[in-house]
Amino acid sequence: MSAPGVDHDAPFGRLARLRWRFLSLLATIGRATRAQMRFTLMFVGVAWGVVCESVRPHSWRRTTRLEFRRCVREIVAGGLLSVLVTAVLAGIGVVSQTVYWLGFAGLAQMTGSILVSVLVRDVAPILVGIILLGRNGMLSTAELGLLNINGQIRGILGVGLDPFTLLLLPRAVAFMLGGFTLGIIFSVTTLVMGYMASRVTGAINSSVWSFFTDVVSSMGAIDFVLIPVKFVLVGFFVGTGSCLTGLMAAPQDDVSSLLPVAFTRGITMVMVVTILFSLSL
Amino acid sequence: MAGPLPVLELQDAMPLFDETGIAPAPFTMRLLPGDCALIACRDVERGAMFADLCCGMVTLASGVVRCTGLDWTMLGTLQANALRGRIGRVSRQGAWLDILGTDANIVLPQLHHTRRPERDILEEAQALAERFGLPGLPVERPSHLTPGDRLRAALVRACLGTPLLLVLENPIAGAENELGAVFLDVLTRARHRGAAVVLLTRDIGPWRGQHGFFTHRLHLLDEGLYAMRRTG
Repeated sequence: MSAPGVDHDAPFGRLARLRWRFLSLLATIGRATRAQMRFTLMFVGVAWGVVCESVRPHSWRRTTRLEFRRCVREIVAGGLLSVLVTAVLAGIGVVSQTVYWLGFAGLAQMTGSILVSVLVRDVAPILVGIILLGRNGMLSTAELGLLNINGQIRGILGVGLDPFTLLLLPRAVAFMLGGFTLGIIFSVTTLVMGYMASRVTGAINSSVWSFFTDVVSSMGAIDFVLIPVKFVLVGFFVGTGSCLTGLMAAPQDDVSSLLPVAFTRGITMVMVVTILFSLSL
Repeated sequence: MAGPLPVLELQDAMPLFDETGIAPAPFTMRLLPGDCALIACRDVERGAMFADLCCGMVTLASGVVRCTGLDWTMLGTLQANALRGRIGRVSRQGAWLDILGTDANIVLPQLHHTRRPERDILEEAQALAERFGLPGLPVERPSHLTPGDRLRAALVRACLGTPLLLVLENPIAGAENELGAVFLDVLTRARHRGAAVVLLTRDIGPWRGQHGFFTHRLHLLDEGLYAMRRTG
């Protein structure tokens, strides 16, 4: 016989609550992991699809070419000013400081190799990737996300227009071209501005030709391939990831929930490409 | 001797409940070239599902849906998209890409699915737009148009080219006004070319005076498609 007011089930109740909390925690972790893996696997599949379809002439119908031209114009012409301003600031800040401090340390002969390894190989792809992501990647996510949420993607499927061929493929390829173009413009502008800033401050006395000869001669043969490939891949990853995030939007999503996700994914991809290539170099 | 191939044929086609959320019921309908089916359906969701079913966009639990004799389930993605390119459609959600102007949206399916010169497509679209009462091809984005102009633009897009099948979800309220007369005239021309028409409407009332125009008059209910008695 038990005393009144004593709950003999209390330890079991507490245990059940703890078990429930633990399972809820596991479920939350599992949901997040599955959601993350879903994007990664989808990304791999879509990226492979873009590579395969982009070389098939049949994929490049008039509508796809029109969208490609529109996107290239938006990415290159639209992003040019941002890239030039960033390149000028980076040139004045990074290059002139590098030249000054290397000269101060008596290592002026290493200027070219330091600039190539730090600025052109690593900093330029990251900054160009961030500009591409912020200026065009976010726009693609918002556009495609809204089309998806409002049922317009399903609508165009109804008239036989494949969103992959019509929207994703041309954008991914346009981002690749845009990444390469803006990356090269960024690198050249930064070096020119860095030279000019160093020349004005007196940190460097050589001609612009000898400065660029120094930079180019410090590049190995592989750099002439891998640096452009890095720009292309940064563009490809940012473009494909942004478009895919938009196309994977769920009905309950909205722009305010899609954009932070797209930004985080984009930054992660830019960093992954940059780091992987830095390790290989 | 075999008759003409049906443009659209539903044989006990039962949509998968998990995908549509619509009560599973078998649908049977057969439209020959030139046929026009008026289907009354008060539930717009069900109407949209039925339109999707005709276009091979709904997974079937059983039965078959054929368009021009081709079973949608047997077609690959490319073939299915090419066949859908021959279907003129006015859908509930609009199917507009708001990143493009309305003019680009109108000609997009023709540019994508055909090799017709762009100039020809634009001229035909311009002529159709004027017939439907637009001053020309609207260049604004679809969301910037009034609902009436957006509807006219949707009709232009659906009737552009030589569609085999027209699937129209609540395109206009009736045939009493000027737009209705033009609409029926354009449909008649399409039917003379051999197209079949599926016209879904919420309200049968305004169409009662046109009973000679339709070869099939049906009710779309939870239990399936049922023929309706002619009262007009």
